[in-house]
Amino acid sequence: MSSNNQTTVIVRTVVRSVVPIIVLVAIGLLLQGHNFPGGGFIGGVLTVTAFALVYITYGAEYLSQNLLGISDGSVARRETQDVLDPDEAFFSGTVGRYSAVFGLGLALAAGGGLGAIAFGEPFLSQAVLYFDHIPVFGVIELASALIFDLGVYFVVVGSLLTILAVVGNE
Amino acid sequence: MQPDSAVLLAVLAIPFVGAALVPLVHRVLGERTAYYAATIAALCSGLLISQYERWGTVTVEWIPALDVSLVLYLDGLAFLIGLLASGIGVLVFIYSGGYMHGEPGQAKYYTTLLVFMGSMLGVALVVDLLSLFVFWELTSVASFLLIGHYQRADRSLYASRKAMFITVSGGLFMLIGFLLLGHISSFVLDGSTFTLIGTEQSLIGIPGEVTHAEAIRHELVERGLFVPVIGLIAIGAATKSAQIPFHIWLPDAMEAPTPVSAFLHSATMVKAGVYLIGRFRPLFVPEHVFAAEVWTWLFVGLGLATMTIAAMLAVSATDIKELLAYSTASHLGLIVAGFGFAETVGAETGAFHILNHAAFKATLFLVAGIIAHEAGTRSIDALGGLRHDMPIVAAITAVASLSMAGIPPFNGFYSKELLFDAAWETAHHFGGLTWLLPVVAVFGSIFTFLYSIRFLWLFFGDRPTELGEIHRPPLAMLLPAGVLAIIVLVLSLGAAPIAHDFVNPIVKSSLIATPEGYHFSVHLPHALKPPVLMSVVTIAGGIAMYPFYDRLHHGIRRLRSIALLSPNQYYDRGITGIAHVSDVVPRYVQTDLMRTYAAVVMSAVSVFALGGYLLGGTGTDLTEAVSGVNLALPITIILAVAVVGALAVDRAPSHIAGVLTLSILGFTVAVFYVLASAPDLALTQLVIETLVLVLFLLVLDRLPAFYGELRRGRAILDGLIASGVGLTVTITVLVTTAADPSDGIAHFFVEKAPVPAEHGTLITDAGGGNNIVNVILVDFRALDTMGEISVVAMAALAILTLIGMRNRGERA
Repeated sequence: MSSNNQTTVIVRTVVRSVVPIIVLVAIGLLLQGHNFPGGGFIGGVLTVTAFALVYITYGAEYLSQNLLGISDGSVARRETQDVLDPDEAFFSGTVGRYSAVFGLGLALAAGGGLGAIAFGEPFLSQAVLYFDHIPVFGVIELASALIFDLGVYFVVVGSLLTILAVVGNE
Repeated sequence: MQPDSAVLLAVLAIPFVGAALVPLVHRVLGERTAYYAATIAALCSGLLISQYERWGTVTVEWIPALDVSLVLYLDGLAFLIGLLASGIGVLVFIYSGGYMHGEPGQAKYYTTLLVFMGSMLGVALVVDLLSLFVFWELTSVASFLLIGHYQRADRSLYASRKAMFITVSGGLFMLIGFLLLGHISSFVLDGSTFTLIGTEQSLIGIPGEVTHAEAIRHELVERGLFVPVIGLIAIGAATKSAQIPFHIWLPDAMEAPTPVSAFLHSATMVKAGVYLIGRFRPLFVPEHVFAAEVWTWLFVGLGLATMTIAAMLAVSATDIKELLAYSTASHLGLIVAGFGFAETVGAETGAFHILNHAAFKATLFLVAGIIAHEAGTRSIDALGGLRHDMPIVAAITAVASLSMAGIPPFNGFYSKELLFDAAWETAHHFGGLTWLLPVVAVFGSIFTFLYSIRFLWLFFGDRPTELGEIHRPPLAMLLPAGVLAIIVLVLSLGAAPIAHDFVNPIVKSSLIATPEGYHFSVHLPHALKPPVLMSVVTIAGGIAMYPFYDRLHHGIRRLRSIALLSPNQYYDRGITGIAHVSDVVPRYVQTDLMRTYAAVVMSAVSVFALGGYLLGGTGTDLTEAVSGVNLALPITIILAVAVVGALAVDRAPSHIAGVLTLSILGFTVAVFYVLASAPDLALTQLVIETLVLVLFLLVLDRLPAFYGELRRGRAILDGLIASGVGLTVTITVLVTTAADPSDGIAHFFVEKAPVPAEHGTLITDAGGGNNIVNVILVDFRALDTMGEISVVAMAALAILTLIGMRNRGERA
């Protein structure tokens, strides 16, 4: 994007310090969604907002190459590198990696649902592992719904990033 | 004895499975795929024959939840049509092995042909009207693909489109008829049914045991649907069976490879229409003779008109396949007329002639294919004296065309005799103008005689000098024609026993009840009865007129060239008109302007919603609903700020100001959610609002600097639409919030969502989370969420595809 040269130092500095916070908040919202306001959708949209800020301020190339190409602990990065479809030129490159993220998300959500079938429950049934009286932590709750929520998160992130990249290229 | 359900289902499934395997088989076998397909057809006919005389019904549960089941019914008529589809299929596949030698697209050809065979077997065996419709349209689709086999030729494209357009739209009329019947059935039976025959709760009932036909007819007449239903079904049958004026697709369909013409367009697919008439006959034609007047006049009129006019057109044909095509339409007319006569002999005519016509016409088509293949021309004028080159083919043709002409002792004679009998009896009963029926029947038959002899004459007379060297046909092509000719001979010489044993159950399929001691029989005439006299007149007339064949030929051609009389003209003009409309409509509908679409969608939603409230009532008192709203002071203030923000959007001097003021609106709504104790909604609203704002910044510098001049008229219109939408939404919200639902579901969620007070380590019966909204999303209503994220992913894919494909230069 041409705005690469137009953004001011103020914007660049603010974005640089704000984006990690946004991503952290987003992940926090995702994880606490089961008991407090939050969840996969909200977390996903917030994550995309962070990427969009980077995109506007530093441009698409910086986002895809410098930010997602280096190991900075960003959530989307690890997943995008694993799943790749080099055969189809149409899905290759940055957009291809973004679209692989929502594929992964759908697979997570559906796969988690299929897991319930293995235990003889209806499709998409969820369960909770609940441990009381654990020292230090007190209560630990492992919800299978988190897998589903993670799926939602990846679908939202992947789809919105795909749209952002494709439309932004125009 | 009941038919074996596994065998019948296999008969239906094998062709489709076989078709799916064709691409693989073709890689291995190449052109010998023909014999693979022939084996499949042979397998089907073998299985079908193994069920002979095991008449009865097989019901297979398909979607039990929706009460949908596949009902297969085997009786004489179904067996005949199924046997034609699979048996002639065997011969046609073998023949294709020779005919299609070196032709392109063979894998596609055999796949489609096998799919067709499967669908035709489906049409024959299935009596559930909706499944029947599906198979019926599948045959149309297969026919479309096969007629258009030579994809590069304009003529075959035109022909395939024409066939598709006429037969498929006819099928839609038929579907409406089926739906009406299904609707009517609910007043007579326990619940509505689409099963035509063979079960307790079917429209006709089980022949000989239960009958609902009388009650259904009565109900139809009561509701004034009797004539419409018969008419709709007649349109379906007439388009499929190429009856006047829908016959025009059949001659054009001759663009298909000749084996296809022999198979689809003479022996099987076009028989679907007459099959349907025969199948429905017991429903509409009561037991006592001459009672079904609507049925009789409709189908006898249609059939005799088609028989006569198509026979005349056949005389005017210049191409051997065109001649056979018109002749096919003409003979289908004979069958339709036969089924139309409301007495036993009518059913006999139809049933027997389906068999006879399939035998001799398929033979003649295969002969036509041999001639075209070996002589290199299909022009009638250019051919002659072929017996010197192809003596065996000449013998085959002689048998088949004499049968077509209706000359004793060939089989065609018997069914024509039955038609004359039916026409005579009906005229005798009604008197008056109905005496025209036998006259027209004889008149049409004279033309049938003429073109049959003309076709035979291709092999006699002088051999034109310009006709080049003619090879003997390959065995793969000669053998099927020979087998069919032998079948014609067997049908002719063994007419009496075959009619007695094989055709008898077929006739009974089209009769609601058979008289005591009835048995179908035919024999050569031994006394001078009226039908015999009519045959004598036909043959004598034919012989007398044959010397004037050329003059008749040219005379009819001149008649054909009158535009007003040509259905083709109407068809072409109609198609051009429709194409023109499709050109014009997008100019107004698809303007590429967002404002048009938004205006149409918004105003439509408002009009329908408000109209619905006006007509159906809202169920609540609006004034009460308004007075029931009480807002706390903080909410009122916040909403007031939102209104100010909305007004500011309108007054905003620049884009950036517009976007920012719009955000005021969005964020105040988020605050409103917080005040209304909906933290999840508020969070979502905040996040989305932020993202939208950021995205706006991304595209802001691409937008034009100002919106352009606003015309007063347009502004007023937009204002009206906006107010309408606002009104609709306001009323809807008031109505929905005022209607206080029993809050059982809310209690359920409140109880079930959090971790229960007493629980083990693994909790599966509750959501296990304190955030009810999220637990609903990921647990209780997870399937909905699944659907929603699929939509999100689909939207991304759609945008990716749309933008990615835009530069591929793909234009429709």
